Amino acid sequence: MRRRSFVQLAVLAVLVAAATTAIALLIPWLPESAGKERDRIDLVFWLATGIAIAIFAIVVSAIVFAVVKFRARPDDDSDGPPIHGQTTLEIVWTAVPTVLVTAIAVLSAIVLHDNASAGRDPLRVRVTAVQFAWSFTYLNGPAKNVTIPVLRLPLGRPVKLQIESKDVIHSFWVPELGQKQDAVPGRPQTLVITPTKPGTFPVVCTELCGLGHALMRSQAIVMRPGAFDAWAKSAGQGGATS
Amino acid sequence: MSKVTVEHEVQAAPPRLPGRGPRVLLSPWFRLVWTIPLFFGIGAGIVSLVRWLEGWHPIWQGSVQTTVALVTIPFGFLVGIGAFDYWLAYAIGQPTRPEDHSSHGARSWRDYLRVNTDHKVIGIQYIAANIFFLIAGGLLAMLFRAELAEPGMQYVSTQTFNGLVSVHAALMIFLVIVPVFAGIGNYVIPLMIGAPDMAFPRLNALSFWLLPVAGIMMLASFLVPGGAFATGWTSYAPLASHQPLGQVFFNMGVQWAGASSIMTALNFLVTIITMRAPGMTFWRMPLLVWANFTTSTLVVLATPFIAGSQFFVMFDRIMHTNFFEPDAGGYVLGYQHIFWFYSHPAVYIMMLPGFGIISEVISTFARKPIFGYRLMALSLVAILVLGFSVWAHHMFVAGMAPWLRVPMMVTSLLIAVPTGIKIFSWLATLWEGRIRFTTPMLFALGFIANFLIGGLSGVYLGSVPIDIHVSDTYFVVAHIHYVLFGGSLLTVFAGLYYWFPKMTGRMYNERLGKIHFWITIVAMNLTFFPMHWLGLQGMPRRVADYQDRFADLNLAISISSFVLGASIVLFLYNIITSWARGPKADGNPWRARSIEWQVSSPPPIFNFDEIPQVVGGPYEYGVEGARHAVFSGNGAVRLEDAEKARR
Repeated sequence: MRRRSFVQLAVLAVLVAAATTAIALLIPWLPESAGKERDRIDLVFWLATGIAIAIFAIVVSAIVFAVVKFRARPDDDSDGPPIHGQTTLEIVWTAVPTVLVTAIAVLSAIVLHDNASAGRDPLRVRVTAVQFAWSFTYLNGPAKNVTIPVLRLPLGRPVKLQIESKDVIHSFWVPELGQKQDAVPGRPQTLVITPTKPGTFPVVCTELCGLGHALMRSQAIVMRPGAFDAWAKSAGQGGATS
Repeated sequence: MSKVTVEHEVQAAPPRLPGRGPRVLLSPWFRLVWTIPLFFGIGAGIVSLVRWLEGWHPIWQGSVQTTVALVTIPFGFLVGIGAFDYWLAYAIGQPTRPEDHSSHGARSWRDYLRVNTDHKVIGIQYIAANIFFLIAGGLLAMLFRAELAEPGMQYVSTQTFNGLVSVHAALMIFLVIVPVFAGIGNYVIPLMIGAPDMAFPRLNALSFWLLPVAGIMMLASFLVPGGAFATGWTSYAPLASHQPLGQVFFNMGVQWAGASSIMTALNFLVTIITMRAPGMTFWRMPLLVWANFTTSTLVVLATPFIAGSQFFVMFDRIMHTNFFEPDAGGYVLGYQHIFWFYSHPAVYIMMLPGFGIISEVISTFARKPIFGYRLMALSLVAILVLGFSVWAHHMFVAGMAPWLRVPMMVTSLLIAVPTGIKIFSWLATLWEGRIRFTTPMLFALGFIANFLIGGLSGVYLGSVPIDIHVSDTYFVVAHIHYVLFGGSLLTVFAGLYYWFPKMTGRMYNERLGKIHFWITIVAMNLTFFPMHWLGLQGMPRRVADYQDRFADLNLAISISSFVLGASIVLFLYNIITSWARGPKADGNPWRARSIEWQVSSPPPIFNFDEIPQVVGGPYEYGVEGARHAVFSGNGAVRLEDAEKARR
């Protein structure tokens, strides 16, 4: 009887896992990735998702199984068997989650480290947040000292952002690039992004910063290197202002 | 066994304050007519006097006087309703007796509206007040969900929107989830451990009456110039230091709610440590008692930190201190460190008592002992200890010292282990049980599944790289609602249905209860699950407006949130009509083992005519002849008769 129960439970768990996997894969949960850092973040995301599906399938199938199999008949006033615990089982469900979260932690730490390195010669841009607008100042290259209201980036080159705030705390985020960093008044922060796809992506403020918070948006425009260089040169000579 | 009886003198004249004026102006509540103006005058007067002496003009600066009045008016309220009568009478030399039970117990509904020292009355006062604030907070959510149904601004300004979001969260956290467990615990814990009341009944009454003060203060912030506080329930400095006056109503509201929490927690600790019935060792305590014990420890250790953080913000504002002012050398991130040093443990303050409730409900309705009882208790302690080492996971993108991130990630992820132990142990308790699908059991099972989703999304948020992507987005909104609604609030419903017969002496309507359960579960998931997608895709939290591409999903979420909000009407209808004319419940309708079920429903005014003797564990279902507690004299006979009659 016991063995058959466990086989039924395992079949149920596989079915739940299959259904959950379908939901995870068929719905586009993550926005398109346009950055090297986002790709690495997505890797951790899918590891966590795999583990989450396994745990979810086990727990939900156990609940469903118990609900169906161990339902008491209305006239049944008896008690269940007095099982107080089982040491092996308790060790297993302490040890297995420990191993799983350790795996997530290790991969996360590696990705965190990789996502903070900007290589030898990054483009450097200062991001300045005020209530309720963004501005971007180029700190090296032909567009040095140029300040514009949108963030123009060259494809494929690491960019080191220096994020500052002039008033309250804001937060810089481009969902397609994945990286996010609070702008803290008085404490400049750095953030590394490496665009891998050309296009225009939203820059949003994610830290509640007052009445204009919802509208504090800008754009990140990723350009092919040639086009970016042309723009930077013209901007550096006082040509382009955005 | 010797017969132990407990005698209480129920009626005694309440201590009276001396006075010559018309009596009615001295009786509680009527006194409010002059105590509130008096204490407002004291607060405003001190400020005006200082301003006059210092030569500051204008002397009457409404926002400053109001700030100090928020400290004094609550005292006027407490004096007015009589919360200090006993102590004041003692202080001015009137005759008092320590064993004064004149304000104990409820004989009519009016007794629920006055300062009462009976833990059972206080428990119900708490729960009623919490349900009131649940509805208020829910209505605020309906308002901003209406605004969010379409992109663009339709009904409110962005500042008002931020205010709605902030007051919603503050009420739900500080006035609903945190205190409702104190309310349920107040009613149940003394009965569960075989005590006649809480250790400090008058302090208990005072703790309760601080709550309406805090809640009304937060709601009243909508009425002041500039509108309600609008910086989220987290109220980060330096934004919060430079907001309109409404912000102070949050800073001070948190103080009153926090003081209430701390007093109740101390009361629980002393009660649980010193007032357990003979024979009830720690390893014989029901898990709800364990949960309240660990929660109370958390409250006492952590709550002073949020009190400090809010005072600092207020000082920066009104006294021009520079705790968090970057231009004057303040440490901006200091606010977040102090705030989260409370507010992360607060997550467990809002969850551990729920774990306790679920253990009681599942064991009773599966008719099985809790699987791995000791590990269940120890995992509560593990969460308590680990809970203090994870606060900075709220700050992975805040710009704190980078080296802090990995250690905080490891401790945060490790909390999944004791939490997992609890979930697996509940499942093992269900295994081969004789499961009865009563409403509390449905809520308990619904809790496991939904809390699991919240727990798993918590693992995502614990991992630094994923958190960097989803921090401050709707993913976090989804997570917090799966944990606080799918987690805490479902356990509250489970607990309220479970102990309803005990509290009222009547049965609730099972059919309505089940309908309430199904509507809640379906609407909750339709409301909160899509938020994961919104967050991952790029919708930040706390925004009054959003990109057009999120419009359809937000409309769907708004519609299901209205259904979710409306479902509370079923619950209210059920408990009100059942309390008025539901079928009578006997002492132990669930055939449960713990002590609160071995007395009548509702229990006698001092809980026990005889002190119970605890002789075994609380969940010995299926063990031949096992008992949790026996009563020395007639009680033991009564218990056996009851068992026999049932078989």
